[in-house]
Amino acid sequence: MIPTLTTTAVTLEHVSKIYPGGVHALNDVSLAVEAGTFLAVMGPSGSGKSTLMHCAAGLDTPSSGKTFIEGTEISHLNETKRTILRRGRVGFIFQQYNLLPSLSVADNITLPLRLAGVAPDHAWVRTLVERVGLADRLHRRPSELSGGQQQRVAVARALVTRPAVVFADEPTGALDLRTAREVLDLLRTLVDELGQTVVMVTHDPGAAARADLALVMADGRIADSIPHPAAAVLARRLTELETE
Amino acid sequence: MLYLAVRMARHRIAGLIAVACATLGGASLVAAIGVVAESGLRGHPEPGRLASADVVVSAPQTYRVPEDLPITLPERAGVPVGTIARLAALPGVTAAIGDVTIGAAVIGTDGRVTPVDGHNWSSLTLTSGTAPADSTSTSPAASTGASPAADPSPTASQAADPAQTGNPAQTGGTEDGGRPTGVPDGADEVALDTATARAAGVTTGGTVRISAAGSIADYRVTAVLDDAGPGAWFADQAAITLSGRTENRVDLVALRTEPGRADEVADAARALGGGLAVTTGDARGDIADPATAAGRSMLPLMAGSLSGVTLLVIGIIVGGALAVSFSGQRRELALLRAVGATPRQIRRLATRQALIVAAVSAVPGAVAGYALAGRFRELLVALGMAPAGLPLQWSPLPGLAAVLLMTLTAWIAALCAVATISRMPATEAVAGSRAEPRTPSAWRFSSGLVVLAGANALAVTPMLARNEAGAAMTAMAGILAAVGLALSGPGLLSLAGRVMARLLPSRAAASTWLAVANTRGYAVRTAAAVSTLAVAVVFTLTYALTQTTVLAGSTRDLADGTHAQLAVTAPALGRVPSELAGAVARVPGVTGAALVGGTTVIWTYSMLGDPVVEAASAMVLDPAAASVFDLGIRDGDLSGLTGATIAVDAGAARARNAGVGDTIDLALGDGTPVQARIVATYERGLGFGPVIVSRDLAAGHATGLDQRLLVATSGDAAVAAAVSELAAARPGVVAGPADPGSASVSPELWLNVAVLGVLLGYLLLGIANKLITATAQRRDEITLLRLAGATPAQIRAMLRREAALIWTFATAGGVGLAVLPLVFLSLGFLGRPWPAGPWWLGPAVVGVVGLIAFLSIELPGRRVLRTTSVTI
Ligand SMILES: Nc1ncnc2c1ncn2[C@@H]1O[C@H](COP(=O)(O)OP(=O)(O)OP(=O)(O)O)[C@@H](O)[C@H]1O
Ligand SMILES: [Mg+2]
Repeated sequence: MIPTLTTTAVTLEHVSKIYPGGVHALNDVSLAVEAGTFLAVMGPSGSGKSTLMHCAAGLDTPSSGKTFIEGTEISHLNETKRTILRRGRVGFIFQQYNLLPSLSVADNITLPLRLAGVAPDHAWVRTLVERVGLADRLHRRPSELSGGQQQRVAVARALVTRPAVVFADEPTGALDLRTAREVLDLLRTLVDELGQTVVMVTHDPGAAARADLALVMADGRIADSIPHPAAAVLARRLTELETE
Repeated sequence: MLYLAVRMARHRIAGLIAVACATLGGASLVAAIGVVAESGLRGHPEPGRLASADVVVSAPQTYRVPEDLPITLPERAGVPVGTIARLAALPGVTAAIGDVTIGAAVIGTDGRVTPVDGHNWSSLTLTSGTAPADSTSTSPAASTGASPAADPSPTASQAADPAQTGNPAQTGGTEDGGRPTGVPDGADEVALDTATARAAGVTTGGTVRISAAGSIADYRVTAVLDDAGPGAWFADQAAITLSGRTENRVDLVALRTEPGRADEVADAARALGGGLAVTTGDARGDIADPATAAGRSMLPLMAGSLSGVTLLVIGIIVGGALAVSFSGQRRELALLRAVGATPRQIRRLATRQALIVAAVSAVPGAVAGYALAGRFRELLVALGMAPAGLPLQWSPLPGLAAVLLMTLTAWIAALCAVATISRMPATEAVAGSRAEPRTPSAWRFSSGLVVLAGANALAVTPMLARNEAGAAMTAMAGILAAVGLALSGPGLLSLAGRVMARLLPSRAAASTWLAVANTRGYAVRTAAAVSTLAVAVVFTLTYALTQTTVLAGSTRDLADGTHAQLAVTAPALGRVPSELAGAVARVPGVTGAALVGGTTVIWTYSMLGDPVVEAASAMVLDPAAASVFDLGIRDGDLSGLTGATIAVDAGAARARNAGVGDTIDLALGDGTPVQARIVATYERGLGFGPVIVSRDLAAGHATGLDQRLLVATSGDAAVAAAVSELAAARPGVVAGPADPGSASVSPELWLNVAVLGVLLGYLLLGIANKLITATAQRRDEITLLRLAGATPAQIRAMLRREAALIWTFATAGGVGLAVLPLVFLSLGFLGRPWPAGPWWLGPAVVGVVGLIAFLSIELPGRRVLRTTSVTI
């Protein structure tokens, strides 16, 4: 394989997060996510996965250390500047689809663009809508969709600004097996075909196995880094950590 | 369940605090109103001179109305003199004392006027404690109201003979060649109390000038009494004549009884028949002071409507606050549903929260109400709505009623608020997102439109009926319109939102776009705020401007209809001396002089086959009125206003199917039924009232005769000076410019405005609370927007634009709904399309509504933004 010049989409340098009350949710974590890769983050409950993601995405600021998105440091930016950078460069998918109930599917998808004051690229929106399979439901309200459909709207919304990275926190947590696989397939193809960087937190070893690299967290640290993970290996490792 | 209710309530304390405040305030209002109502129901004025009477017999002071509350009569009908003897003959009666009271004034030698009540001599026993010596009388000291001349054989009472030789109260003595003095006997004799005599500068045997019931005459002072209260005592028959009654009657008969036999005597007196009212105990105060009694009977009615409105407003506020609070607890309630709670259990859970909060806060509220009652009474007295002489009654009843009513109100409001939530599917607990239905109920929308149309149809009434009842329809139309708006609001709003969304340029700022989307998407939520604010606008505009426009209309009627330049009044005498009318009319240059008085008439007519009884205030005029008033005569003329005749407002006559020449049945202010012929109908009824009674007809049945003498002149200053001179020659009489000026603002109006103001303030506070809670509960939505990349500034801008939309819609809706009724009203009453009233009212209301909309969204919005972290 010819070595290619890879850039990092997300970088964390010695990041710690101490919540009020003295909980060390992150303990000196350093990490670089290469552009165009699919990263899975696993670990027992309370190990700091969500915290890692929030800090990396600029939703929250670390207690110490630095975070970068595409080489831009965001950990020292103020709330408004972080928001503006985030809405252009970062996409989010959550377990609870987090769509605005008063807006139609189409309006939910283009919401980040509107907030940024950017005219939607209609071709791109159409591509996205077709890819997530919602072309015929654009005028529905979220409450009129199934969970899987709502999550697909969230995926389309996360991608509409062509972000540098998409963070997904247990995106399949609320979905049945089949729908979960559909969403995972969707994420995988986004990485393969569009070169999208995806960071996904999950409890499901099967889901993590679709990633290029799996991190296993424990007590606020990265305990393992497993490239091209196999579900069985991950499952065993998790069981070990949980029984420790 | 109770445990759960308390646990859950603790987490929604803010919303419930609003409920607590509303019930607290409501309970104190209701309790205060209740205390005043109870005082009106059970309280009696001081019996005053009647304190020494055990039983009082009088004409009934109420006019019975079939199937309705009786009308309290403001004038006294009197008791035939013959009745006194029959009462005196009853077993157990020790004295039967006829009493006549006349408004009088003593005119001093220096021209000083001292108003004093005039009485008949026999009634002196009521106040002096000793029966008057009556040594000149041929009759035994029967203390009867009738003089020997009028009633040659008065039955003796079983009183111990009071003709003691020395009445220590009398400082008379014997003068004039041994003729016993002290007892006023002839029509030109009077006895005075010490203070009045001193004020007039007379002593026994001297001559004093007294104005009594409109006539001034000189009287010989037969006695100066130092242990009687203030008063002037005329001979019995003279007093009866002065009282102006055509029949031989006294105002009332006071009975003294043997100890412990008062009830027995009262029953016996009732058994005498003759339609007399027999009163004992505290109720004697009502007979002593009919004006206070009449005012008192108004209180329970007024309290009823006041507390009704209060309960309604509190219900709306509590319902609103609870609805917001419940929707905040939706998740929890839905979870309960998911784990097996029935809708009934949910309802009980929710109502119990409200019940606990209401019951807990209503108790201190009711206690505060008792403290408030005194103030409330002062306010009513200051407004002239409550008699000053009525003491407050204290009992636990109003407080209990307040707590019960508030709890009941809160319970009903809670049931309404939770109705939809309790029926929601249990799945909502697990649903990811929640939205209002996309299209608000079509049934609700169309029925709202129908009500709106009905309101505007109703608003046409003032064009047809130019009177207060017609004007009331404008305010009524406003209320109906508010109901219509509340119903059709969500539909109208989502329609407007759709139109706006289409009109919005695609490059509009994200915050504007979001504000429009939210207005549309949460049409029901937004409409609740919009329609309540609009209701505040409609109420204020229609209600206030209706009052001011009617007032302006009647003021204009009076101004256009009054040709007099001068008005002669005699405030100290109580009545303009009647001979003055002729004297003034003879002054060269005077084109007309007419005496004007006022009374009440009760008109029974048949409407759609049912008898309707209406009490109306009426002017008392004589044919001379035609020279000073232009009533806008439609038919007939005022020259015939003598004898048993009346003139009637043309509209009122039409409504009653009566015309000139017809004879109708009336009751006068003292309840006397009369038949009166209509001699004229007139247009300016708004200013001059629906009925005008001839002076002849009212005489003897009204105390308000000859209040003013209106004088029309050629306009020459010399003529005015001549009239003033004539007036000045009579002590206590003053002449001034006739000021038809403004129709008087009725105290009811002020009370209504004050109460409406308080309730409106309350309503606005309620809306503010609702908006604040609703905004605070948008935390999730705001978090989502922040996650989607909205900056805090964008969220603030969005909220501000939503407030602007709410403001715009509320103003447009409110003003829009008020316009048509007010145009109709103004056309009907003023002949122009815009109402009369302060110009700043509209802008002020719009400003206040705007302030509320902005502040109650901006402040909680800022708080939510400050305390929301973007993490999920
Ligand atoms: N806002 C907060 N305040 C205080 N402590 C917090 C807060 N959020 C998380 N924590 C603590 O930080 C630690 C890491 O939490 P985090 O949410 O990152 O775990 P996680 O790995 O995502 O767990 P899960 O798999 O259950 O979602 C936990 O111990 C948690 O209790
Ligand atoms: Mg987590």
